[in-house]
Amino acid sequence: QEVDMQAQAENIRTVFSDPKNFNVKHPLFSPWTLWFDSPATKGRNLPQTPMSSFPQTPLPQTPGGLAAAAQGWMEDIKRVISFDSVEEFWGLYNNIVPPSQLPQKANYYLFKEGIIPAWEDEENKNGGKWSIQLPKDKNRANVDKMWLYTMLAAIGETFDPVVVDAESPDSPPSSLITGVIVSTRPQFYRLSIWTRTAPNGSATDEDTKLKDRVEAIGRHFKTSVLGYTDSAKLAGPLATEVEFLSHKDSEKKGKQAKKIIV
Amino acid sequence: APLRIDTAISNTPPHPRPRPGPLDLSGAKGHVPAPLPSALSTARAIEDLQSVTYPEGVKSPKVELNANAKDGKFRYDRDFLLQFMMVCKEKPDNLPDLDVLGLQPSENHPMARTTSGR
Repeated sequence: QEVDMQAQAENIRTVFSDPKNFNVKHPLFSPWTLWFDSPATKGRNLPQTPMSSFPQTPLPQTPGGLAAAAQGWMEDIKRVISFDSVEEFWGLYNNIVPPSQLPQKANYYLFKEGIIPAWEDEENKNGGKWSIQLPKDKNRANVDKMWLYTMLAAIGETFDPVVVDAESPDSPPSSLITGVIVSTRPQFYRLSIWTRTAPNGSATDEDTKLKDRVEAIGRHFKTSVLGYTDSAKLAGPLATEVEFLSHKDSEKKGKQAKKIIV
Repeated sequence: APLRIDTAISNTPPHPRPRPGPLDLSGAKGHVPAPLPSALSTARAIEDLQSVTYPEGVKSPKVELNANAKDGKFRYDRDFLLQFMMVCKEKPDNLPDLDVLGLQPSENHPMARTTSGR
């Protein structure tokens, strides 16, 4: 029986040294909540028996209350689980349905705990999203890995490079990422990364800095997570580039939308 | 509260060397013993990544990602995280029944399964 002597001396057993009786786990930068919806969850009134009960969809209290639109939007979105360690993430991952096997019109939303996957949430309302649309037939074999790598960059907190540089010594580094989404549609998949803020197109120093930071997230998504080259052109039938749109511009439905493309 | 294991035959008076009799399950009716807590739910969060030594062949998380880390807010690179995939397979205690959520693989469970009274 090989036991690392030092770890034993300090009584630290990771899941690698003792998969059954480990006594430490790897905390994540933030706790996360997985949400799900599909046509099958619509109008589902879930029985609250001990075997099947799970926490009711919590809607955070916001000043003035969450917009009615978000209440309706969240009605069919089911909270699956919250977790705050690497070990719990993998326990979930290994026991849940991958995107390639989800029904059509289904979505997984993986968001930081306390942030609901809606534009109206305080943490999202000034933000935006990086997204890519991928034709289904060509990507059925890739989508599970792309979603896994997207989740790993989110929970590992490696999307946002600036997170390491604490802006001031007394404030902890904060991250621009609020959540990631995978969507299945009849003809395509979509992957999205939601950010807390979005550049507004003004040429101020602050906005330019934010734009650089947001673009770095997009490039990391395109190259390290999705595995494309920096210069790859991805748009085509049913496919888009990796593009960023603020939620405010998304609401305008294309009018005056200022897309950023990497 | 101290850790204790509740067994169905706990009425047996304490005895230095009790002889096991036949199992009497009548007292267990309607009593589902709580499963032992899993390592997953009892393990504590690592406070200092430097204090952890990994077995040979397991990579540590990239040091530069946590140069300024505080309060257990750690960042992890993908290669480090992927090492857990084959190790952490146990279903989390708090994962709800996926059927109840309407979350089923589309191939194995045709839509017919999901039609309910509502």
